[in-house]
Amino acid sequence: MISQPGREAPKPALFEETMLPHLDAAYNLARWLTRNEHDAQDVVQEAYLRALRFFDGFRGGDARPWLLAVVRNTALTWLRRKRSSTQVSFDEEIHGSRLEAATVETKLVAGDRFAELRICLDLLPTEFREIVVMREMEEMPYRDIAEAASLPIGTVMSRLSRARQRLQDCLAARMKEASK
Amino acid sequence: MTCAPVKSLLEPYLDEELDAAQRAQVAAHLASCASCAEMHAQLLELRTAIRSHAPYYRAPAGLRERIRFSVRQAGRNASRQAGGSWRWIAIAAGILLTVSAAWNVALFRSHTSGADLIAQNVLSSHVRSLIGAHLLDVPSSDRHTVKPWFNGKLDFSPDVRDFAAQGFPLIGGRIDYVGDRQVAALVYQRRQHAINLFTWPVAAADSPAELMRNGYHVLHWNSGGMAWWAVSDLNVDELRQFEGLYRR
Repeated sequence: MISQPGREAPKPALFEETMLPHLDAAYNLARWLTRNEHDAQDVVQEAYLRALRFFDGFRGGDARPWLLAVVRNTALTWLRRKRSSTQVSFDEEIHGSRLEAATVETKLVAGDRFAELRICLDLLPTEFREIVVMREMEEMPYRDIAEAASLPIGTVMSRLSRARQRLQDCLAARMKEASK
Repeated sequence: MTCAPVKSLLEPYLDEELDAAQRAQVAAHLASCASCAEMHAQLLELRTAIRSHAPYYRAPAGLRERIRFSVRQAGRNASRQAGGSWRWIAIAAGILLTVSAAWNVALFRSHTSGADLIAQNVLSSHVRSLIGAHLLDVPSSDRHTVKPWFNGKLDFSPDVRDFAAQGFPLIGGRIDYVGDRQVAALVYQRRQHAINLFTWPVAAADSPAELMRNGYHVLHWNSGGMAWWAVSDLNVDELRQFEGLYRR
């Protein structure tokens, strides 16, 4: 048992020791969710402070899924806030930015398979992208992803499967387009 | 096993989520079924592509230190206030987010001119104010409170303005030192970023300056016989906007 009950103050030293080793994982997830370096830094900082606040709720074990759950929630709140503050409608935000990413970058890197891969990842809907990041980049087991994303394991599996299908389709379509 | 059940197990197989018996069954099927083997190969190819070519974004230098500082600060405030207001901690932490590894910045090694020396001074004052929890002597968003507070404490009276309407609310002020003189430090907030605006009277105006050091922007201008130095980790466009409000 890591935490003690009551009104005891958070323990920064223990917190740092437990949570800071996962900073890269936290940042990578935030970076892929926000798709922006500055937002990712702000999100991670905010997430760590939130995590400190809720540290009493951490029951030991692997800290990574626990921390990533906080990062994910912070990032999703951030994205919602950003969307409403820019007062762009949901459709415009999603489709506009996708269209832009797709057309601008196509010109720059047509046919570059690595760049295509990154674009296809960026084009995935957030709820698919986060699962791919945790599974393929963090190499987390389904159980941990389920914890971090607050989803049943079955949903993790079906989203992962659909995400992979979309990625394969996206890559195939873009490579075909580029070879025209 | 036939193809249908294997297809639904291919991804858990790839993800090493199957038990030994299922794993063996899928492997045996893959060895004898070209169509399933092809699907498996494509999944494997996608995985290899992501793992070897999609960027893994590592936390930038300085972020770890910023978090460490803010966590320690929040922890100190929490123990001081024993179950006290988290809202205050959140605000303080938000401001402290801006603290970075500026202690070992290039500035300390690379200055040459007088302006650089002042820039170094205001930047370290800025960082110190955020680390040391001595950000405000007079916490107030009312310029009619902040301005008189400086009277008698300084040999000049700073021009204190509030830009809450423009998204740069005044949150207070303090006395600080730049070089060997006392200066007024006015503190503004932009989202979770703090802006320190230092000001003191000067005999002759020097040239305006704009510097960037380790994620901090420093803007300098002169007006009304005063030197002004704004420091923040805010992006430079918004900091210029802030300068624009003051110079108007």
